[in-house]
Amino acid sequence: MSTNRIISSLRAEFGEAVRGSSSPAAGRLLVDLDRSRLREAARFLINRGGRYQVGVGADERDRTQTFGLIHFFAFDRERFSIGLRTAAPASDPTFDSITPDIPSAGWTEREFRDLLGMRFPGHPKPKKLITADDWPDGIYPLRKDVPYNLVPPSTADVAYQLDEAPPGTTIVPVGPFHATLHEPAHFAVYVDGETIKHCDYRGFMAHRGIEKLCQTQVSYNEVPFIAERICGICGSVHSVAYCQAVEMAAGLSISRRAEFIRVVCLELERLHSHLLLIGVAGHLIGFDTVFMHAWRIREQVMWLSEKMTGNRKTYGMVVIGGVRRDITPEMKDEIFAVLKNLEAEIASFHKAVAGDSSIHGRTKGVGKVPTEEVVLWSLLGPVARGRGVDIDARRDFPYAAYDEIAFDVPVTTDGDVWGTIVVRLLELFESIKIIRQALDKMPSGPVLTEYGEALPAFRTGWSIVEAPRGESFHYVLTGEENRPERWRVRAPTYTNLQGIPRMLRDNQFADFPIILGSIDPCFSCTDRVAVVDRRSGRKRVWTKSEMDRLSRSRS
Amino acid sequence: MWLTSKFKQIVLALKPGTVTLKYPFETRPVPKDFRGRPVWDHTKCIGCGGCANHCPARTILLRDLCQEVRVLIYDGAKCTYCGRCAELCPEKAIVMSPEFELAAPRREDFSQTLELFMLTCNRCGRCFDMEIKNAIDKLDLRGYRYDNIETRTVLRRTTDRMEPAVLDETEAARRPERIGG
Repeated sequence: MSTNRIISSLRAEFGEAVRGSSSPAAGRLLVDLDRSRLREAARFLINRGGRYQVGVGADERDRTQTFGLIHFFAFDRERFSIGLRTAAPASDPTFDSITPDIPSAGWTEREFRDLLGMRFPGHPKPKKLITADDWPDGIYPLRKDVPYNLVPPSTADVAYQLDEAPPGTTIVPVGPFHATLHEPAHFAVYVDGETIKHCDYRGFMAHRGIEKLCQTQVSYNEVPFIAERICGICGSVHSVAYCQAVEMAAGLSISRRAEFIRVVCLELERLHSHLLLIGVAGHLIGFDTVFMHAWRIREQVMWLSEKMTGNRKTYGMVVIGGVRRDITPEMKDEIFAVLKNLEAEIASFHKAVAGDSSIHGRTKGVGKVPTEEVVLWSLLGPVARGRGVDIDARRDFPYAAYDEIAFDVPVTTDGDVWGTIVVRLLELFESIKIIRQALDKMPSGPVLTEYGEALPAFRTGWSIVEAPRGESFHYVLTGEENRPERWRVRAPTYTNLQGIPRMLRDNQFADFPIILGSIDPCFSCTDRVAVVDRRSGRKRVWTKSEMDRLSRSRS
Repeated sequence: MWLTSKFKQIVLALKPGTVTLKYPFETRPVPKDFRGRPVWDHTKCIGCGGCANHCPARTILLRDLCQEVRVLIYDGAKCTYCGRCAELCPEKAIVMSPEFELAAPRREDFSQTLELFMLTCNRCGRCFDMEIKNAIDKLDLRGYRYDNIETRTVLRRTTDRMEPAVLDETEAARRPERIGG
């Protein structure tokens, strides 16, 4: 289905409710829709093969006296992304919830309920998501009348109300600090014996309000340095995604060489991120040889990034208009040498690991999700590709210089944790291939294109970048004060975490760490898990070593 | 299958040998363009405030103590070592040094302070009248003149305005009930 056809079929179906449409760039569509038909239109797009990406809410009361909401859908086969833009008057910011049809929209709607005070009647789980448990009702931090540094006084003894436990189950709280969590987050796992039946999630404890900060305090070219700190692993992903969104909104075209250098950065990041995750997965199932050697191999990538960008990670490389450092001919030779070594090491690692029956025993058949449900939950990246869904933003929405580069997208149909690990292992070889091609095809030229003083205001741009964990989505509405009016970030884990309850269902509790680990959060190895028997109220505290032993005793 | 994998793993483990260095006795050389701690050269600095204005972490503060003395403080505790200051400095007064072993017991050990003597205009005898919001102010020094150097706070003007009524509401806002009595 082409972009024209989707517009005409939307017009045919919804008639007057479609107020207008625009195409800010190739493969990008914005359709203005009356809010009364929002849910039907969302369902219409999903039924025609759309994949829900994310929603963007905005406080536009100063300009149009409305609250705006855009739901984005990707058509991966047809290679375009469409936004359904609606608005509600400031006095009544109510939108129909699309979550009953599209479960992965659940968090978006809960987020804007918390941050903007929008209401979504019909939402199946209208609970707090982002703001703290003791954040006062009636203060919505993303609204423009709330200052960025407002800190309301805190209150003790307020707690999140967990989901009702299915009958016959016991709650096992994992978190807020736990060995397998990369950030403070609370999983309440409902177990029947050893079998997980349901899971409730309370996270966003490290919510830092970066979007608000960047919309009110800093200027366009400072945001990339803040954006890349969103994640400790995929730094360039966020800065590239942000810069591309701004470049699309402002209609800037950057030099081709800069685009190739961005590709090199992104793929180096994928290499070290996948090696990190494979190592950690080995560690979680008690196979530390995998951990040690994946990380030993990874170290070369870090050293290479250090030489290339000046920092162990690929931080501080990307700005609006291009990149900050060029790849010199000597650097290029060095990258080739490291890649050659890396390829040999990864190949021997792959051979040593891929046939190991103890890894198979712990990961095959674990966290199984059928392909239809992967689509339903809009899972992303290796989590989806390991379960038979062939999506990859590098191929489907070519950005930077990926349109000139030939590569395969590994997909397995195992549908379990093993599948996601295999996909990551194979992607390592693809990344090496991509970097080699990028270095060969890189034209000469400047690396930074200067832009004029002011970028045009109130233009929309959104960019999709394939991070190691899946698709990262950045939306930018340019503003008048040399900074974005609205900037929305959706990291792939935002979507993948919503699918965790589905991945956990009917698995063993001892597999919880590896299933959660398979979506690739980073890990802090600090804490403990407490088991509370709901009926007797008896507590037993599991230390990290006991929990590790429980997990490893299954190997 | 199981056994061959184990053999391959033994080879994988033995082949590279020991890879860890005996740090701190043995160190890996720092690459040429490494971005370590930024170092200011006070003889080159002209006090334009470009670094302070573009620091994403807001870790460089600038303030005029009197008509002719401008103080620049770099508070390294918040620095992300992006090197934006060094890149934008028109006089190349900032160098990203190869220093990376920066642990220190006190926060002040990270900072650098420059006291710059600013030139005055021959005609009027002043640098710039900083209290009048002229165009140059708005362009380059927005907000920074009011930095509180003693408490290391950057006071920036923001576009945010909170109505007093809303602030009162914040104080008196109803909180969620305690769960479980």
